[in-house]
Amino acid sequence: MSSGGLHLSHFAGMVAFALFVSVALGCLSQQTPKGRVKYAAWSFLLFIGTALAIAWLMYPFAR
Amino acid sequence: MNDTQTPETHLSEQPAASAELNKRHFLAPFIAVAAWLVPGLGHLILGRWGRGLLVFCVVAGLALTGFYARGQVFPPHSDDPFGTLGFLADVCSGFFFVIAHLIEKTGPDLSRAAGDYGTRFVAAAGLVNLLAVLDVCGIALGRRN
Repeated sequence: MSSGGLHLSHFAGMVAFALFVSVALGCLSQQTPKGRVKYAAWSFLLFIGTALAIAWLMYPFAR
Repeated sequence: MNDTQTPETHLSEQPAASAELNKRHFLAPFIAVAAWLVPGLGHLILGRWGRGLLVFCVVAGLALTGFYARGQVFPPHSDDPFGTLGFLADVCSGFFFVIAHLIEKTGPDLSRAAGDYGTRFVAAAGLVNLLAVLDVCGIALGRRN
């Protein structure tokens, strides 16, 4: 980190956001430890998978 | 009521259960305020240590990443309705909203993508804490475990 602040790449920002939010949703929405881990893992994979799918769909229209 | 209970013992349990319910309804708002001010504290008060620490780590991770990426923390007064919504989201992160200006001394930098992401991280920290406060209310009122 420089004086200009934390330099997050697009991918790193997306992964960090998906990780934090997935853990929170799994922790708060499920009642059993197994259910929490399963929900958080699925949520994380869907976050990343959906973002990558949308990125590839947008690829032909890149500048 | 099981087989060992007489009708008299069953009736004597009702005021105790009612008193417990009244106590929970009385304490729930205080626990909710504690959970809002310090993310995870509500769960700690209710004995959910693991969930409390996880909520604190997630809210702290989102908020601090947002601050260090120089995301925007919205002020209370804004001419833009989206600015007001941003403030409401940010203020839900409790004391992280208060310490934002201590960490982000140079102010936001939205000229870079990281600064824009930082704004979303800070807002997400508040919304996750809001979910945690609702969870705490449910536990305190006996609707969740």
